[in-house]
Amino acid sequence: MNVTTGTMPPAVRRIRAYFAPVNRSAQQPTIFDPAQQGLFDLSAPAAPWIDLGWISAFTRKSGTKIDALRAGAPTTVQMQSRSEIEATVSFQFSSWGKLQMALASGTQQMNLLAAQQGVAAAGSGGTAVAAVALESGSTATVLQVGTTAAAGFSVGELVVVDVDYTGQTGFVGSGVSGAYVKSALTDVDYVRRVSLNVGRVNAIQDGALTLESALIAGMPTAAMKVSGVVGFCDREGSTFFQEWSALFVAEGQQGERTLWHYPRLQAMTSVGEVAAAAGGLESLRQSAAFRALPVKDPVDGENVVCFRSFVAGS
Amino acid sequence: MQNAKDTFYEALRSRIAAGNPERTIVLRGQVRPGVLVEENELVTTVTMPDCLRLRWDEASVDAANAMPLVALRCEILYETAGTAGNGGMDRGRALAAMDAELAAAVNACPQFVVKQSYAALASGGSTVAMNTNVWWGDVAFGTAQVKADRVARTATVMVMSYQEAGEL
Repeated sequence: MNVTTGTMPPAVRRIRAYFAPVNRSAQQPTIFDPAQQGLFDLSAPAAPWIDLGWISAFTRKSGTKIDALRAGAPTTVQMQSRSEIEATVSFQFSSWGKLQMALASGTQQMNLLAAQQGVAAAGSGGTAVAAVALESGSTATVLQVGTTAAAGFSVGELVVVDVDYTGQTGFVGSGVSGAYVKSALTDVDYVRRVSLNVGRVNAIQDGALTLESALIAGMPTAAMKVSGVVGFCDREGSTFFQEWSALFVAEGQQGERTLWHYPRLQAMTSVGEVAAAAGGLESLRQSAAFRALPVKDPVDGENVVCFRSFVAGS
Repeated sequence: MQNAKDTFYEALRSRIAAGNPERTIVLRGQVRPGVLVEENELVTTVTMPDCLRLRWDEASVDAANAMPLVALRCEILYETAGTAGNGGMDRGRALAAMDAELAAAVNACPQFVVKQSYAALASGGSTVAMNTNVWWGDVAFGTAQVKADRVARTATVMVMSYQEAGEL
């Protein structure tokens, strides 16, 4: 710690948010180690952390209740105990993207798959165009689909890469669980509808789709297929809860950082936007709120919901 | 305070030079990046066009903290008549280019640098890195003004630092 400024409160300009997947089936969050990673490059977080950009109106609330235990006559507080542990966090995203929308929606977010012509209308998208199988040599950023199929895609188009739905129940979606299936469905594209394994086509050449950024699930498997995505949709009334590991970073002007790490955050509100005035227009910002769930700190076995760390600048 | 002023000037000058190496001026026979501090120059240079002129005006010290927090307001004045080859009809574009260069330089992350002491330069020494940083806010642009054949603008930036013990 800089001994000269160690007593000064951090003066921060804004806060940046990073999210990482939680393995829902195993209830295994992504743990951030501030001792090893506290001074990471804010523009290049280590995988699997995903940079979701700057946020505003960052508000933390503790719902932890501390009770006083009294004894004697007259009664006097003898000791204290914590009877409930609870914490919530809310904020607004400054940018508007797939993951920001998914997190702010509070529930599963549907990919609007390119629909076949003339199919029945559906609120979350009609029957999709048949997905394209991946060929060998595909990576997290290059999808080999063959020259014929590649002609069906265009630069700038969004695509989703995931497996066919074959009647499985439970959490579905590669890389990140996008939904929970309670009973078997019939839509072969259902996993691709809810998957967060989405990218944008940056270039098309020799039957390969090059993506702007790596897929969240990494290298695709041979069972995965590609579908074109025309947009996104979330639904009020949907029952799924998003759960992610989160990290919020505030960098002070002396290079110091305050980091708030919530290993497990579950959405606690439904979709909502706030309007911010900008040049006579209304700029819709997505607001999000989460409730923190506990993890056990292996250091001493304590059940905690949030780690707040402070690391001095180099 | 002087160290904070000097450090911010050096940082801004470096960023402007990196963003547009062709933004240069000839001052007292020297070709240098097109950024100067008015109070450090002869009064005859203060209306030099096509360069950024820093003028320090308001200053405050918040002594309520463990270290005094110094806040300095820096006015950045610039003006241009465009180019003679275009008969000055590109003066608006030239001003917009300076707006963009200034915004890029001031608003780029990180908006802080280690404070330097330049006191030893007067006696042939070198700069000394201090223990704290100088940091600044985003640039705020004033309205463009017409000054004869030139268009001019004044932008402002708040520059802050902690006053270290014994610092001038």
